[in-house]
Parts: sequence; structure tokens; C-alpha cells
Amino acid sequence: MSDFSIPRSQSTPAIQGNWSEGVLSMQGDSYPENSYELFHQVFEWVERFLQDAGRPLTLELHLLYLNTSSIKAMMDIFDLLEAAHHAGQPVAVNWHYDKRNERVADLAEEFKEDCTFPFAIVGF
Amino acid sequence: MEPFDLFSMREAYNRQQIMLCFNGPISRSLIEEIGNALRNYLEADHAHPSAAMDVFAVYIEMTQNIRHYATQKGWQEQEAAATVVIARDEAGRYVVSAGNMVDAADGAGLLAKVESLAGLDKTQLKAIYKEQLRKPRDGDAATGAGLGLIDIARKASEPLLASMRPLNEDRAFISLRAVI
Repeated sequence: MSDFSIPRSQSTPAIQGNWSEGVLSMQGDSYPENSYELFHQVFEWVERFLQDAGRPLTLELHLLYLNTSSIKAMMDIFDLLEAAHHAGQPVAVNWHYDKRNERVADLAEEFKEDCTFPFAIVGF
Repeated sequence: MEPFDLFSMREAYNRQQIMLCFNGPISRSLIEEIGNALRNYLEADHAHPSAAMDVFAVYIEMTQNIRHYATQKGWQEQEAAATVVIARDEAGRYVVSAGNMVDAADGAGLLAKVESLAGLDKTQLKAIYKEQLRKPRDGDAATGAGLGLIDIARKASEPLLASMRPLNEDRAFISLRAVI
């Protein structure tokens, strides 16, 4: 139905939503002062996809540093996935990280702890 | 007027191993630009990527907390001023400090919070962090909703240090220090 793409800025990640493939991707750092401005549109896209698409959704994340307000916003998105998973919808997260920086894996691991859907933390 | 001499300032900075410091009104873009400079310094300093990320994270949380506080108070740009210092201690650890003007009552609240966090170990800090993360937002969706200070405490290698100096009847200057 609708794809969207947000270019990367100094403090915000690049984000792409591909409706036909059922993939949401993010790359980069996220530390905007107002994370709501950025993430509410992502949240709404995920919400609409889970409601209307009737297809599996996968998140491909290459996120690095997140400030606490971005962490809170990401948790809201993962909560949507968790609810969809409980309703029997296939959802998955693949979080890719550079093995030289284990902080990124720690961050992903803390999100994973609260999720029961497939959540892979992939080092490269 | 004080005599024009930056040498004594330079000496003091060198003695305290200050890598970077800032004093004045702090804007959103200034936080990003100083953050950029900080990242470059840390890279040139051959900081481990994890340590560099911790220092950067603490810097961001401290300065954004100061901005959010001033916004919440409805203060003008000039009042949203911060004093930020990034240095190394004798052991070579990175030290991130930030200070700002606050309402005296809020300052006392922050001191109490820092003190309560000081008694917690990493596991306990993680537990209250997750608890705070799960709390519904109280109207202000923009901020990290109280997570910042706990996050800073989690990234610090020793308890946070805070101090307050009264400025007048209502206002005080608060300083917060985290050793990474």
C-alpha cells in the first residue's frame, strides 16, 4: 500500500518501510531531542501494516546508539510486534551489529529479553 | 576587568585533563555539534568503541536533560544554559560533568535521586531502569521520561556525584558528574 523512506540525519537514523515485502529497516544512530516526532510515523506504519497487510513483518535493524527517548519509542514498536505475535501473526526482528562494539549487542539483548517473537542479534 | 591572559585558563584545563568544555546557552544543534567533536576526540584518543559510546551517551543524556528541563520550565534560550566538561581522571577514565541552573526545590529533588541511585548495584539499576521504561508517559512523550539519570548511573563505573550551590532564594546551580 504505502512505502516510506526517511533520510538519515546527524541524530536520526535512515528508515525505510517496504509494504510489499513486509520489511521495515533502520540504519544509524538515534538521539533526537524529540524522538516522538520521528518515531510516531514509524509506529503508525507498523500498526497499519499489522492491521491491513496480512503478511509477515520483519524488522532489519542496523541501529547503533539510541538515547533513552529513542529506546522508549522502540519499545513501543516492539510491543506492537509482541501483540501481533500473540495474535498468531508472523513477525521477526534481526538486529545487526559490528562485533567491535558490544554495547550495541547489549542494547539489542535488553530489548530481546522482553520479546517472545523471533529476535536475532547478528554480529558481523 | 580581569587581565587578558588565557594561559592560566589553559594551565587549569591541562592540569584537570579537560578534553572539551562548553559554557553558555545550549541549543539542539549545538548539542549535536559538540557531540560530533567529542566523538572525533574519542576516536583520536583511541578510546575503545564501547567506552566511546558510553561517554557519548552520558554526554547526550546530561545535555538533553538540561534542555528538556528548561523547556518544561518555559525558560528562554538564555536560561537554557549549561556548563559541560569532558575530562580524564588520574586513572585515565573518562569523566563527564554537566551543570545548570535549576529551581532550588528541583535541585534538592535531583540530589535525593542521585543519592538513592548511589546505593544500588548494576542489577538493581537495571531493574529500576526497566520498571521506569514500562511506566506510562505522563503527558510528555518527547522526553525519555525519567530514564536519563538511571541510564547515566548504569553507564558509570562508580556512583554519580551531584552538588548544589544556591544562587539566590529561588534558584541554585546543580552539578552532576559521572565517571565512565
